[in-house]
Amino acid sequence: MHTPSSPARMLARRSFFRVAGAGAAASALVLAGCGKDDPEPTVAGTPTLTLGSFVTTTSSDPNITVLNYAYLLEQIEAAFYDKVVATPPADLQPGELAYLTDLRDHELIHREYLKYALGTSAYDNSLSAPLVFNFSTFTLTTRTGVWTAARQLEEIGVAAYNGAAKYLTSAEHLNALGKIVSVEARHAALAREVLQPGSFADNVGTTGLDDAKTPAQIVALIQPFVPVVISTANLPTT
Amino acid sequence: MYLLKLLAELATTDTTPLEQSAPRRAALESLGRFSAKTLAAALPLGLAALPTQAGTTTILDSLTLALQLERLQEAFYARALAAPAGFFPADATIRASIVTMQRHQQQHITLLTDAITNSGGTAPARPNYDFTGSRNGTQPAFFASVFSNFDDFLRLAQLLEDAGVRAYKGQVEALISNDFILQTALQMHSTEARHAARIRIIRQKRAAVVKPWPSPADASITVAGKTDIVYSGENALEQSVPGYRPVPFRLLPIGSGANILTQGVPEAFDELLNTAQASTLLGLFTY
Repeated sequence: MHTPSSPARMLARRSFFRVAGAGAAASALVLAGCGKDDPEPTVAGTPTLTLGSFVTTTSSDPNITVLNYAYLLEQIEAAFYDKVVATPPADLQPGELAYLTDLRDHELIHREYLKYALGTSAYDNSLSAPLVFNFSTFTLTTRTGVWTAARQLEEIGVAAYNGAAKYLTSAEHLNALGKIVSVEARHAALAREVLQPGSFADNVGTTGLDDAKTPAQIVALIQPFVPVVISTANLPTT
Repeated sequence: MYLLKLLAELATTDTTPLEQSAPRRAALESLGRFSAKTLAAALPLGLAALPTQAGTTTILDSLTLALQLERLQEAFYARALAAPAGFFPADATIRASIVTMQRHQQQHITLLTDAITNSGGTAPARPNYDFTGSRNGTQPAFFASVFSNFDDFLRLAQLLEDAGVRAYKGQVEALISNDFILQTALQMHSTEARHAARIRIIRQKRAAVVKPWPSPADASITVAGKTDIVYSGENALEQSVPGYRPVPFRLLPIGSGANILTQGVPEAFDELLNTAQASTLLGLFTY
């Protein structure tokens, strides 16, 4: 295993981002933490978002990769609630729009917190335009459709954080994600309760544990919302 | 990977001298994995003198604290469920939810006890509980009607569930070197957050001013000098990123709602309770 010097790695990553940015319009988008020293962005065909290796030690900081992963998830949630609050379904019950607005605000705050924490390492810094997420699989014209979608997205968030936090090596980042994931779990419980009182923890298993999913499992769930193909090639499997 | 984590930890910790009892060290080693402290203990003398993990909380300490909190909650619900007919309201989903929460806590107790004993540790003896706060009649009660007034019961349930969420959060840093235990603790942690949200929603439907998550807009339910520790620092207006750099929320594109900075930001982050705070809370209801 070769270990380039620190400046060399910095340079590699910086130039890599530039390449990714320049090619973004036509091709490759890459989530930070690329595992290869000489990445070769695809230049044609389907645009691809490559989630970097979480555990590569030579050129990738697992904290950056996990934070970018969380950032992508929070972007999706924020975009969803933004859309719902902008054009809410007509049959919302009293108090529900206020709840959806709170959820929107929390997710915007989470998104911007993570983007700030990532700084120059945020994966979308070099994109020419922000990703536009696709929620066409949801029914957003009814309160049931909206809360069903919210439940699905919040459950994805909880399971994703629970499953990826162990890849962090920074205690400060771990503490920050801990502060966020319990709020997501509260959101998930709310969405469940709106749909069916008493169902706040119906997904909790027989050992009392909430869901935890691997990044590969989560990617399969969020792919329908993301306008580019997410590559799982560099995701951890254990 | 573990080694790298540990080296990263060692590099960022203070110079607190290594102090750890032999039985505890043996117990940790038999977890089959290791903490920064046990690594330091296993290294040659010169290296062992290197900085060790900040504070003195070990994985075993964290599991034991979690066990004590889960036992407290489980006992609380067991007593409520044994209260005379009529204590629970007519809406059957409410009692069913408390049954579910108690079952989760029993499951957590099993998990935590197994983890402690399988690692060679010893689960502490189960204490006595007094949920009125009178410590078995030796001091004035501050929750005298907890098993006769359902809203009082819900207030204490909310306090204990929110505190449980915060207490788990306060321990994750001590678990960072053990992937399996860290993930399991986080899975219990978010289960507790669901409980807290459910209790809060039940209270909200009973006309309490409260949201599913702690909010500066919540009506206070704490008793000064007693349970106010549960929400101590919870309404923090600031968050930081590594290096203790404060996040300038007012400069970020988080919207322009009137209360976004004073209500949205505190709501978006649950804060942690440290070990001493969690132990203080335990002490209010045990004797």
